Amino acid sequence: MEHFIETIGRNMFAIFGVLALVGALIMIGARSAIHSVLGFLFAMLNIAGCFLALEAEFLGVAQILVYAGGIVVLFLFVVMLVEMSKKHEGEVFQLQSRYAVLAVAGGVALFLGVFRKAIFGAPSPESLVLRPELAKGLDVAHQNAQAVSRGLFADYLLPFEILSVILLVALVGAVVLAKTERV
Amino acid sequence: MPTPTLTQSIVITLIQCLMVVIFVFVVVPLTVFAERKVLGHLQQRLGSTRVASGHVGFSGWMNRRMWKMGKVPVISYWRGIPGLVGDVLKLILKEDVIPAKADKFVFFLAPSISMVAAIVVFAAISFVPGTFFTFPTWFPYLGGLPVSGGISDINVGLLWILGVATVGVYGIVLAGWSSNSKYPLLGGLRSAAQMVSYEVPLTLSLLAPVVLSSSLNFSEMATRMAVGMPVWALIPQVIGFLLYLTCGFAETNRLPFDMPEAENELVAGFHTEYSGMKFGLFYLAEYINMTVVSALASAFFLGGPWLLPFGLQGLLNPYLPGFLSWFTEPHAIFFVAKIVFLLFTFIWVRGTIPRYRYDQIMAVGWKYLIPLALVNLLLAAAIRCFVV
Repeated sequence: MEHFIETIGRNMFAIFGVLALVGALIMIGARSAIHSVLGFLFAMLNIAGCFLALEAEFLGVAQILVYAGGIVVLFLFVVMLVEMSKKHEGEVFQLQSRYAVLAVAGGVALFLGVFRKAIFGAPSPESLVLRPELAKGLDVAHQNAQAVSRGLFADYLLPFEILSVILLVALVGAVVLAKTERV
Repeated sequence: MPTPTLTQSIVITLIQCLMVVIFVFVVVPLTVFAERKVLGHLQQRLGSTRVASGHVGFSGWMNRRMWKMGKVPVISYWRGIPGLVGDVLKLILKEDVIPAKADKFVFFLAPSISMVAAIVVFAAISFVPGTFFTFPTWFPYLGGLPVSGGISDINVGLLWILGVATVGVYGIVLAGWSSNSKYPLLGGLRSAAQMVSYEVPLTLSLLAPVVLSSSLNFSEMATRMAVGMPVWALIPQVIGFLLYLTCGFAETNRLPFDMPEAENELVAGFHTEYSGMKFGLFYLAEYINMTVVSALASAFFLGGPWLLPFGLQGLLNPYLPGFLSWFTEPHAIFFVAKIVFLLFTFIWVRGTIPRYRYDQIMAVGWKYLIPLALVNLLLAAAIRCFVV
């Protein structure tokens, strides 16, 4: 029993990862757009589970808060409000473009090339840390949020703020595009 | 103190989950019952304060006795119990209608999402800091092991609560959509817009305790807010409490903010097409959400498991003599008592304040509550910066 539970606990990441892939497949393959959104939600929740399995509670919860709580709700809104025509119900995978398939295959090859070592190689003896001095004096396993905030608000403040400006630009752009000329 | 093995700790966690479920399923029906009774008294609704089982049993006996004494038996606590029994029986036994053109899978899924999102929140709520109780040594398998006051007191507990609570909106939106009917769709959209907009002031009002206590861990926040605060922190706490409670009413879709099911406009809103236990799950989820909002308010503003609200406990001498020292320690019973009081407040407000108009709700949320929450946050930050 003890051994069994320990095995499950050690493989939590893999379990959530497989479930996330299942959710992604549902998202791609579902006939109805709402079911796609639900698959996406399932995938997002399982990715949060992956983070939790890696003891990155802050990231996991942020994943739920931002993606499951915010972005997917907006998707759902859009899908609900825009009446989807059911003309193409028969074609699940729309392989309309050979170039798209080629591009995806190229992307997969590139991804495998970059992450070949991370996926198939032996695990590295020590954890990869970008700036170890950021975590100085912190018990990272119990002070997730503090560890993340040190990076965001101390060392990488400028990129962080620039990112938010980019989001603002996107927002303004969306308003400009959506606004109809009123006489 | 022995350290539990992995299996033992999982068994303990399961016991904690069971305790939370029992707590919820004791509190929720009692709240429903209390709602009928309190509303009955507030609004002169006759049935729920008088109905009893007639002439049989204990209540029948009391009934006859009180009539004989020349009194109308209104105040008696058990009046209305048949109404509660009827409620539960109706939920369980009513025919489960599924609209012909509904999306069946989503129609099934929506109530369960609501329910699960409401109850999973309790994972991060700790009823008392530290150990709740220790198993006696004669207990089989778990003897001598401590049971902590919360299921999993993770370091970002508050974010977990907020995050999972936002997932609850899917239940309502999907219910509105999958019914394939006009009123539910409108109700679902309204509710989603309302919940998304009121999440902003709700989160902002909870940021003040985060800033003051400089933590995201539930029990740590509750402890620091109750006993570790300077006197000045009283002001942001009181403002934050009122703000949080207002937004909590809107988040749980209770009157005066019950737009999703404003009966005279939308029939019954998003759950118009639901019946039987599927409707019952929405009903349960609403009351569990009320309990969660009350639990958060009482933990962060009303002192949680300590006796005095708004950080006043910290001013109290912690070394009171004799039996008085019992009142200076944290107890789960104080926490539960505060939750019950806030649940009563929910009902009280429902019986007193009429419903807002939809545009008024949005105006209140965006134009008044958010700026007020920001000012409150600034105040809390100033106190954190200059006083603590």
